[in-house]
Amino acid sequence: MQTVYVGMSGGVDSSVAALLLLQQGYKVVGVYMKNWSQDLPGMKCPWAEDLADAKRVAVKLGIDFEVWDFEKEYREKVVEYMLNEFRAGNTPNPDIMCNQEIKFKLFYEKAMERGADFIATGHYARTINGDLARAVDENKDQTYFLYRISEEALAHTIFPTGEMTKPEVKKLAEKHGLHNAYKKESMGVCFVGEVGMKDFLKEYIDMEPGEIREIESEKVLGYHEGVIFYTIGQRHGLYLNGVEGEVNDGLPYYVVKKDVKNNIVYVSKNLNSDELWTDELKLRDVFIRSQMKKEMSVRLRHRAPLIPATFDGEVLKFAQKVKRPASGQSAVLYDGEICLGGGIIA
Amino acid sequence: MIYLDHAAATPVCRKALEAMKPYFAEEFFNPSAAYLPAKSVAADYEQAKNEIAHCVGAKGSDIVITAGATEANNLAFTVVGRNHGKAAVLYLETEHDSVRCVAESLGGAAVKVLSSGVIDLADLKGKITDETEMISVSLCNNELGTIQPLAEVAAIIREVKMDRMKRGVKRQLLLHSDASQALNLMDISVARLGVDLLTLNSAKVYGPKGVGALYVSHDARLRPLVVGGGQEQGLRSGTENVSGVIGFAAAATEAKKHIKSNRLKYRELKRILLDDLQGYELINKKHTLDNFAVLCYNGLDAERLVFLLEERGVYVATGAACAASKGVRSHVLAAIGLSDSEIAGSLRLSLGELSDAEQMHAAARIINEVVTKERARVDENPSA
Repeated sequence: MQTVYVGMSGGVDSSVAALLLLQQGYKVVGVYMKNWSQDLPGMKCPWAEDLADAKRVAVKLGIDFEVWDFEKEYREKVVEYMLNEFRAGNTPNPDIMCNQEIKFKLFYEKAMERGADFIATGHYARTINGDLARAVDENKDQTYFLYRISEEALAHTIFPTGEMTKPEVKKLAEKHGLHNAYKKESMGVCFVGEVGMKDFLKEYIDMEPGEIREIESEKVLGYHEGVIFYTIGQRHGLYLNGVEGEVNDGLPYYVVKKDVKNNIVYVSKNLNSDELWTDELKLRDVFIRSQMKKEMSVRLRHRAPLIPATFDGEVLKFAQKVKRPASGQSAVLYDGEICLGGGIIA
Repeated sequence: MIYLDHAAATPVCRKALEAMKPYFAEEFFNPSAAYLPAKSVAADYEQAKNEIAHCVGAKGSDIVITAGATEANNLAFTVVGRNHGKAAVLYLETEHDSVRCVAESLGGAAVKVLSSGVIDLADLKGKITDETEMISVSLCNNELGTIQPLAEVAAIIREVKMDRMKRGVKRQLLLHSDASQALNLMDISVARLGVDLLTLNSAKVYGPKGVGALYVSHDARLRPLVVGGGQEQGLRSGTENVSGVIGFAAAATEAKKHIKSNRLKYRELKRILLDDLQGYELINKKHTLDNFAVLCYNGLDAERLVFLLEERGVYVATGAACAASKGVRSHVLAAIGLSDSEIAGSLRLSLGELSDAEQMHAAARIINEVVTKERARVDENPSA
């Protein structure tokens, strides 16, 4: 009998993953990865409840269950990376780093050491002939977060829910009496969510007030708490007084540029501002999974539409202008359903 | 449902529920207001405080109402001098976190327990110095139910005080006890126990949650943690929790009436349960409350048993509810010398008003079944 170690987060997807593996005849061991447990102002870390949910499901399924503590490694590999990226003025994606460094590295290695034949997670993704492929449920596909995981780990990974749609997963969980069938999903960034990111950063990075200027006129419209707390395209959380003597037309200002060196945030009302749109993007830290093709499609954020592009190994080119994503985010390339790899937007 | 976790929470008793009802929407007045209906509420509140105090042989003016036992424990530690840090406080190593955390923050030292869970009086004596201002020893432990010989602790304190006076040492030495678990099962008298500070908890004695009280002797000088309107003799500001205190008083009075019969009842129910159960080791054999049974199923994971029993409608605990939800191993079971595997395999069953003989038989049968099944699963997968 082959053994699978399945990462169980307490959510419905990984719970159903464990259930499916059991039905398929594997010996299944559930593991809760304890990556973070600290509460933050206004944000209670739900790890203890999540752990209890995961364990309750494991007990219900009658499988072994363990807690693996990766808090130290998560801090070093994911949080430090994230803070350094923000300090450099970028907007990193910690989930991608968590998959690369924790789930499909440390968890994978430890499971193999313990005699696993495979690991599994509740991610919506598939493998086709050894390649990473998009999930059947296009709406839930999570390959955007997985494009940097190692070939070796992928070769030993099963994504049991990748062939199913989310409603099917929920229904199956309910049918088998799993209590978390309708549990609220965790946020994009596993422990703070996008909303809480600024609060999270403030725990680690000091405020450094600076000017907010209108890009067209260079006029000072207001002040910010530190350029690194802002993201290109952002229009909420800006404290602006407007220009004296000018009538407020009610149109929102968008962050269009960050001058990290001089600590200036540039904004514009003009949605067509050249700063907001581009027909090419330079990538760094490119991770190639499969032979790049001439005609490819690219995804610039999780669940964003696929857009046609070409890639020469360094620069992505689009036929039409696209809204410029924040530097530090990832561009992920696809040939049909197959994920070819991607890179971090420079 | 078979509820065997009365040490975590109790259902509000009918008398308390009825007594509280008028104070939500009818007798809602602020006791501090000047008009007569408000004064009547103030009188009811004072009367309720008197009733609570009488349950431990004290007067209403000797107790401070708090929002639960945790706050009362925190408040108790304010007797320690402001500029006086080092080892001014001694506390029992098996205390609840609401005592342990405050004591540790004040640089307090832990007093050991024996393997029975009872305080090691020799260790206590050895640790009292001329700097010691306060000693905190719970009347009953919340995980084991162990009853501490408080009168003996008080006697030691008296000797130390005599000796200090003889030598002209002017430092105070006060005894605090958290009696949260005990009010419905022990006849408590502050004079007999010799305590200066005593924490009481409504939620553990069939009263509403979020209400507690601290008895304060005239020797103890507290500093408020919450300041404002000066309620509770200035020691705990905030508009009085009238309904909560009325409910607490009704529950405490009711509990006090039935101490003897409750103890006999729980002793008999516990006997039935322990007779029917199989394959366990009883951890708290002696000096324990009649409604507590801590069972060790060595080699099993008690948390798994909790979930398996939950599916069968039986609710039990692995340790203190607050500790379990944090995934922390019980410091209490470690203190009495249990191994990691024994701690992992320990279940806490606490009986109460919802328990009867039929339930004990049923609970034992279900627990036996679940344990047998889980043992078989573990034996099949020796790797785990």
